[in-house]
Amino acid sequence: MPVSGVLLAFDTATAATVVGLSIDGDVVCELADRPAAAGRPRHAERLLALCEQALGEAGIGWGELGRIGVGIGPGTFTGLRIGVATAQGLAQANAAQLIAVPTLQALALPARGAQPALQIAAVSDARRGEAYIAAWAPDGHQVVADQACPPPQLAAVLAAEEAATFAVGEGALIFRKELESGAITVPDDGSLLHQLVGSSLCQVADASEPVKAAALVPRYVRQPDAELSRQVRADSK
Amino acid sequence: MLGIETSCDDSCAAVLAGDGSILSNVISSQSIHDKYGGVVPEIAARHHLELLTPTIAAALRQAELTLEQIERVAVTQGPGLIGALLVGVGQAKAIAAARSLPLVGVDHLQGHIAANFISPEPFEPPFICLIASGGHTLLARVEDHSSYSTLGETLDDAAGEAFDKGARMLGLPFPGGPALEALAAGGDAEAFDFPTARNVRGFDFSFAGVKTALLYTIRDLGEGEAERRRADLAASYQRAIVEALVDRLSRALEADGGDHVAIGGGVAANGPLRAAVEALGITSHIPARELCTDNAAMIASAARFLPDCSQQAALTLDAYPSGAQR
Ligand SMILES: [Zn+2]
Repeated sequence: MPVSGVLLAFDTATAATVVGLSIDGDVVCELADRPAAAGRPRHAERLLALCEQALGEAGIGWGELGRIGVGIGPGTFTGLRIGVATAQGLAQANAAQLIAVPTLQALALPARGAQPALQIAAVSDARRGEAYIAAWAPDGHQVVADQACPPPQLAAVLAAEEAATFAVGEGALIFRKELESGAITVPDDGSLLHQLVGSSLCQVADASEPVKAAALVPRYVRQPDAELSRQVRADSK
Repeated sequence: MLGIETSCDDSCAAVLAGDGSILSNVISSQSIHDKYGGVVPEIAARHHLELLTPTIAAALRQAELTLEQIERVAVTQGPGLIGALLVGVGQAKAIAAARSLPLVGVDHLQGHIAANFISPEPFEPPFICLIASGGHTLLARVEDHSSYSTLGETLDDAAGEAFDKGARMLGLPFPGGPALEALAAGGDAEAFDFPTARNVRGFDFSFAGVKTALLYTIRDLGEGEAERRRADLAASYQRAIVEALVDRLSRALEADGGDHVAIGGGVAANGPLRAAVEALGITSHIPARELCTDNAAMIASAARFLPDCSQQAALTLDAYPSGAQR
């Protein structure tokens, strides 16, 4: 079914602030703020400004937004909060629909086009020495669910039964050694396939159904530390 | 004016009319923290993300307004839990941007002070203001509607924190203030002589000493005796905290020469504190209980007297966790 109307999609789950705008399914603008390596994310300062810039470049007013797609992670808790809170506010202000965009799925999208015969893994930096990963079979169905993974287990978790694996994302660069030791292919450091881009956010959102505001919950993947220690206490009783 | 407040564990939204009267004031509390014995920042932030949108919708509904009729948006910028603040700031910025409304970033403590400016009985500056809650203990001189100068702060625990920690030592549930007050009602406030940090200089507060004194007293009494005298311990502990607060308040009034005083924050709901302030025999003002604890009406009230953010700042506004930006 062809999609119609104006869609604004953005993601703040990684260090980058990524924005895309599509009209009737055609991507008309994509913008991003990408801090240099180890640079501080600038989600709070840049997200709304980039959204406004994208709308301005397309000559569209806030009131014309029909749908808002937002990256739900996994990613940094702070980034996810800023993104989802912003989407909730925008949707509320204009009675726009909300669409949840899984961040790793959007990250994997350009690689799918580049390597249609391979299993695609999206890998991002989960900090604390871990990676967030997910993977999709060549036929498009997800074979590894979104999760936080310690580096030594990356190759085993991603081991595909039929197709070889092609891994992209900032996390794939950080854990290149662990991935390549498991015979997983990681494109060159400079490859654009490692970047989450606005057009991918729009495409994933355009292919998804809107959700109710209450159902728009980030994929935290990890539990809060306090909950973990409470469970440890409860288990040891 | 739409007000939004998410600095701690309550998701709050309110609508204020142009004259400062309340059209709605909705507070969605997160009872979830009780089982952790205190507010967990990450859990508070996650709940705000689920609660704030429906809370704003409820505030508009109760005011019988739609967002189209809102003229300004006010939000707590800090200080508070950063993850919690970000949810309110993120939504407020987005609503203001998408509806082309002016945005006002409000200091949380200025908000507590501005609870006194709410109609129909606004309390006019100048006055001395004591704000005591689980997160802050502030003694301030309020000269006008838009600013205050800090006279004293706590050097360690906040007054409400002292109540919560004392309550926990006495086996009471979190939040401890109301439970401790209830237990203390049946006890002898003179039974134990806990320190009130009178020797702390100036107008600052310290509650670490009284907390430690309670701990040692319970230990020295032994389990059975401490259990038998819980009410006396609670009453004496409460007296020490209230005396410390009122002592600084009196000192500040004396030094200032003024005779108007207001109190706010969750601890202002404490009966003995309210009685002690009234006993000072001066003109005092204590907002209604739901305006003393964290709420968004006080944030909107403060914003009435503050300038709008610039257009640029409205897009880039960030939350701040501590009071450093003041
Ligand atoms: Zn407060």
